[in-house]
Amino acid sequence: MASLNDTIAALDRLPALPATSMRLISMLAGGGRDADLREVESIISHDEAVTAAVLRRANSAAFGMRGRVAGLSDAIRRLGTRELCRIALETQTSGLLANAGRSYGLRRGALSQSALGGAVAADELAQIHRLNREVAFVAALLRDIGKLAIDAVAGPDALEKIAAAADTRPFLAYEREAFGADHAELGALLCERWSLPTEIVAAVRGHHEPPSNPHQPLTDIVHAADCVARWAGLGLGCDGLMYPFDAGARERLGVTRDDLEALVADVLAAAAPEAAPGTAPLRRTA
Amino acid sequence: MSRTPSIPLRPETARAAEGDKIVVGVADLQLSRDSSKSIITYALGSCIGVTLYDPVAKVGGMLHFMLPESTVSVDKAAANPAMFGDLGLPILFDKVVAAGAKRERLVVCAAGGAEVLADDGHFRIGSRNRTVLRKILWKLNILLAADDTGGQHSRTLSLRLADGAIQIRSQGKESTLWPR
Repeated sequence: MASLNDTIAALDRLPALPATSMRLISMLAGGGRDADLREVESIISHDEAVTAAVLRRANSAAFGMRGRVAGLSDAIRRLGTRELCRIALETQTSGLLANAGRSYGLRRGALSQSALGGAVAADELAQIHRLNREVAFVAALLRDIGKLAIDAVAGPDALEKIAAAADTRPFLAYEREAFGADHAELGALLCERWSLPTEIVAAVRGHHEPPSNPHQPLTDIVHAADCVARWAGLGLGCDGLMYPFDAGARERLGVTRDDLEALVADVLAAAAPEAAPGTAPLRRTA
Repeated sequence: MSRTPSIPLRPETARAAEGDKIVVGVADLQLSRDSSKSIITYALGSCIGVTLYDPVAKVGGMLHFMLPESTVSVDKAAANPAMFGDLGLPILFDKVVAAGAKRERLVVCAAGGAEVLADDGHFRIGSRNRTVLRKILWKLNILLAADDTGGQHSRTLSLRLADGAIQIRSQGKESTLWPR
């Protein structure tokens, strides 16, 4: 087990979110007004993985475009700034998360898939509740980033042993006992270090325990999106389903069982399109 | 069974094979009669994994369904019936029988159906998945040989095609579900 000081010290050893992602997030949080297509283009063309993802997306059936795109600048023009930002963030976050969650027993890529699934759910919920969809997407994408810190301090099998002995308390309580802080708090600390907007920091911090007084609409949405991803079978480690769906957030969002199950089906189709052949991933062009 | 949709499910693909394992994804179904292999699905939470095995024909199949009723999303159900218990289970039985198994010899096991902590009755996806499983098996007049369901933890389920042994791995522990 680790002390809070050890755990906080581990944050310094973690890879940082690429500076380009930080810049894109601040553009999106500004409502896109600040977004400059030329700056986005320059960011994308300097990152091979992002460039490849942009071309793939532009050529995908989901966009329903006639003819193949001619090259990167054509793809950039067709996709638009907001979609480009999302692709860049998705790609760079996946890079950070690809090997994360080992201490939870997650297989390679499982946490990036769950990050994307939650982001798609948060986007849909934000649209219904008239919040900034891009900010909701990013906050949900980064919600489990604190699991990187737990990986850095947890010994092999530590979390599996904790989970096996767990009773009916939420898993965060066990993380706090073992490491001095839980993955939601550690994720928020990382987002603060990266100077991300305060509402994103708050949503990451509260994504399992959304505050009620005063409540934070974005945090409620990221919380619900996290539950949806878990119901879609994404990102399930030894912590399993040991996180409650907060009744206050459920009331405030007014989500019914049918809404939620339809969202679970959408999320799986978007995060793991190979699992739903013939279903276009949930993408949009605006 | 008349309700089987005409949409073909994916055949066993190279993508789904990991060495001697045939991997069943979320909302997926796989069949095999290759005795050197196992069929496996990872991280069942509220989802349910169902295995069928004919010990004589040595044919097996596994479904990993996510939600109980296909009525919540008609388009997703049309694209992938394996997402839903009400559609996926009859298809699993049909496919395994079509692959050479005899219905009366089938050994049926299930795992998963966990519930989110402190669900106060609003969603209960895990329990409703368990209910749809029981309902469909009742209609088909088939009994479960063994199951490991409920709780809050995730489970990995595998079926060894050589002898039909069912293993569960959960929270670092491996156990045999069948034969008992």
